[in-house]
Amino acid sequence: MPIKKRDFIAGAAATLLMAASIGTASAQMELKILAPAAPGGGWDGTARAMQQVLTATGIGKSVQVNNIPGAGGAIGLAQFVNTAKGDPNQIMVNGFVMVGSLITNKSPVNLGMVTPIARITAEAEVIVVPATSPIKDAKDLVAAMKADLAKVTFAGGSAGGVDHILAGLLAGTVGLDGSKVNYVPFSGGGEALAAMLSGRVTAGISGWGEFEGQIKAGKLRAIALATPDRLKDNPTPTLKEQGINLELINWRSVMAAPGITADQKKAISDVIDKMVKSKEWKEVLVQRGWDDAYLPEPAFGEFLKTEQVRVEAVLKSVGLVK
Amino acid sequence: MSQSTSAPKGRDKPAIVVGFLMLALAGILWADAVSLGSVVAYGIGPAVVPKIIAAGLVLLGLLSILSGFRSAGTEPEEADFGPVGILVIGFLVLTAMIGFGGGFVPAMAVLFAITSFAFGRRAVLVDLAIGVVLSTLIYLLFSKLLTLSLPQGPLERLLG
Amino acid sequence: MESFYALMSGFTVAMTAANLLYASVGVLLGTAVGVLPGIGPAVTVALLLPITFKLDPSGSLIMFAGIYYGAMYGGSTTSILINTPGESASMATALQGNLMAKSGRAGPALATSAIGSFIAGFIATAGIAFLAPWMVKFAVQFGPEDYFALMVVAFITVSATFGDSPLKGLISLFCGLAFGLIGIDKLTGQSRLTFGLPELLDGVEVTTLAVGLFAIGEAMFVVSRHRVAEEVMQMTGSLWMSKEDWKRSWKPWLRGTMYGFPIGALPAGGAEIPTFLSYSTEKRLSKHPEEWDTIGAIEGVAGPEAANNASVAGTLVPLLSLGLPTSATAAIMLAGFQQFGLNPGPLLFAEKPDLVWGLIASLFIANAMLVVLNLPLVGIWVKLLKIPTPWLYAGILMFAAMGSIATKGSIAELLMLLGFGIIGFLMRRYDYPVAPMVVGLILGPMAESQFRRALQISIGDPLVLVQSPIAATLLGVAFLALIAPYVAGGLNKFKANED
Repeated sequence: MPIKKRDFIAGAAATLLMAASIGTASAQMELKILAPAAPGGGWDGTARAMQQVLTATGIGKSVQVNNIPGAGGAIGLAQFVNTAKGDPNQIMVNGFVMVGSLITNKSPVNLGMVTPIARITAEAEVIVVPATSPIKDAKDLVAAMKADLAKVTFAGGSAGGVDHILAGLLAGTVGLDGSKVNYVPFSGGGEALAAMLSGRVTAGISGWGEFEGQIKAGKLRAIALATPDRLKDNPTPTLKEQGINLELINWRSVMAAPGITADQKKAISDVIDKMVKSKEWKEVLVQRGWDDAYLPEPAFGEFLKTEQVRVEAVLKSVGLVK
Repeated sequence: MSQSTSAPKGRDKPAIVVGFLMLALAGILWADAVSLGSVVAYGIGPAVVPKIIAAGLVLLGLLSILSGFRSAGTEPEEADFGPVGILVIGFLVLTAMIGFGGGFVPAMAVLFAITSFAFGRRAVLVDLAIGVVLSTLIYLLFSKLLTLSLPQGPLERLLG
Repeated sequence: MESFYALMSGFTVAMTAANLLYASVGVLLGTAVGVLPGIGPAVTVALLLPITFKLDPSGSLIMFAGIYYGAMYGGSTTSILINTPGESASMATALQGNLMAKSGRAGPALATSAIGSFIAGFIATAGIAFLAPWMVKFAVQFGPEDYFALMVVAFITVSATFGDSPLKGLISLFCGLAFGLIGIDKLTGQSRLTFGLPELLDGVEVTTLAVGLFAIGEAMFVVSRHRVAEEVMQMTGSLWMSKEDWKRSWKPWLRGTMYGFPIGALPAGGAEIPTFLSYSTEKRLSKHPEEWDTIGAIEGVAGPEAANNASVAGTLVPLLSLGLPTSATAAIMLAGFQQFGLNPGPLLFAEKPDLVWGLIASLFIANAMLVVLNLPLVGIWVKLLKIPTPWLYAGILMFAAMGSIATKGSIAELLMLLGFGIIGFLMRRYDYPVAPMVVGLILGPMAESQFRRALQISIGDPLVLVQSPIAATLLGVAFLALIAPYVAGGLNKFKANED
């Protein structure tokens, strides 16, 4: 069984392409991207992927990534609000999780204080059960929850995060008490998976990518996606198809500094627009398994407001916020 | 460091002080745990483990106080607190320089010079120069190779 | 046997002159960055990953493996030389390793850690190649109550770091447990002991506490006695391991590997627990107990270092066969693999065996390159200790501060570092052991989360904690480990009375 170099090459071809296209520049912009997370996390990954694409395509000149981790992004946001004011060359990466963490951490700064630019990527949320589970679809799950809410244990990511919020929304949508949902936060997908495969918990909630391999290998059954529509080449039905009126995606977005002019906002929006439409960005999306969820202004600002209202309500219902 | 000269009153003062500190720490833990007051639907809430640790601290605190009154203890060796103070000041200067935008290189150089001063060297300018060279190298390693942005001051902006 | 041939063909592709060069560049870069405290292997690999993109795919995979091993080893170098553990799993290495360095045996300490890492890495990589599918079946059976039982076993080991006063050791441990409470509660998202400061929401970073207590605290302690008792790092004996050192090292290497690999393969096993278990085992089995509190025992370096490296290789088991990263480093590696077109998951071994074997061959090569490159470097590292004391400690303080500035960049973090430094100084002055505090900070939050998770899943039924066979076995082991010293002590007394 010889190693096929072709396989290796296919994997890294995208990167090489990127390197080749350096220097096709037009209106270049110097940018500083703030990732309000430690190097290595999701927001950092997004910021560094943007840096990669912006420099490779020549859309941006000297793009710098700056990490300010802490408190689910609240510390980075506070710093951004305070020091980047009026600076048209600074942007910040953030996402759905920050909406919740700002509320639970009682942050003095909020997303209304920065200038929204666009939603760029998203990851689909999926509800899974072990392959051996008697639960076959979302209706079975809801029926089990209605029978005994305490006994239906959900494994997922951190408390107050997107998985937890989906569990709370699900209970609320079908008319159950969100604060009685037995949601068990795990530190990682491995632990959550073990809890499911060993039959300790009833169901799991996570991003699609996390358990994709297990679903394809037939160890977990994907019973519902929380996306508005089905994913491409994916037979998993949505919650809506199964009569549960609930949509939730784990999105990431770009924000600009507070107090910039309309022209400056447009300049940044144009840069992001060019970036998400580049072939290099599309390749990054495929490599990382991110879905394109590009939503520019002014629609994004409206979207953000409704998300804030919804998240605050569900955090109250699950008892995380009084 | 056990060159002991037994204390005249037959008390181990540090053990007594540590004991009271443990009681105070236990008090802080308990007060915080009580203020949580969250309703948890299943299992045990966030206040239980802090209370257990606080109870352990109370027990250890009392034992420490008791042992302090019972045993003579050992007097620690003679020490120079002056240089320790200088070290602390050096670190605070570093923190202040980083906080007020003095930049990484000067802040590190000052820390280097003050620390070696505390250890008895008096060639402050030479040490400052060494500190500048070292921290510039580190700065370049971080910013160029690792693309990690360290705090920038006027000097760092020149380095690019 | 098929696996074996597949591995061999993996080697033939990976072993080109260019690839060996990439492996060595990777190892050097990884070591250079990995020695910076606070910049652990995860961050090192994350930051250096883009460099590997510029190479051809098989070369970049090998360079990536080199960076990874280099970064792992870099952390132990600073632990031994300047008592500054770069990551939580290097703490156990710092305990005996730095004592050895101070008594002039930095060379053998560095050598045993490099060779031990190599051997552990070698065995564990072979383990991935041949045992992964079987191990992962066992690993996913581990539930919260089993992890809790494992933590109980680990807590017993902490007494190995107590020194001569159990009361002082327990006080140190409980302070660590109290620090571990600071921040957001993992299960309910509530903030504990943060006093309204957002900087405290993420809790106390283990490296901040360890670097503060170990490195800064010690610098203060040394300077306080600088004029009273001139303390110089001595340079005695050989740079290289003696025959005796080899004899004392090989068993700890193997035992450390036996702890590290299986525990590392557990989704929530981590690298810290095996290092603690190894440290306490070696201390109990040591034929030279007098060295542990004085000049440093080589077993206490050899075992934990091997355990650390083996556990990190162990994390590749769930990563490759489940597609799930179980540590920060593994998460970064996953991102790296995906760049190379390698999508880990349950189907990986079946669908793309050539890629897997190529990767495993790369890991073997990078691991070997690490030891080849680092053994000659031992001499240079040791010379660093010869620089005059003022510069040495000034450099140590710079190093200590740098990690916090680079990854957090916050004033609060620097002040915490200083605060822990002062605590470390006072603890040294009044003879309190500092290691139990770090152990408490590491184990406390893990044990609490698993305990509460188990009870939440069982809806409050405490019997769940002993019902699983794994948990019951581990708790039995913990009980035996707890009473063993007393039983053994009683027997000895008994024998002594008889004589």
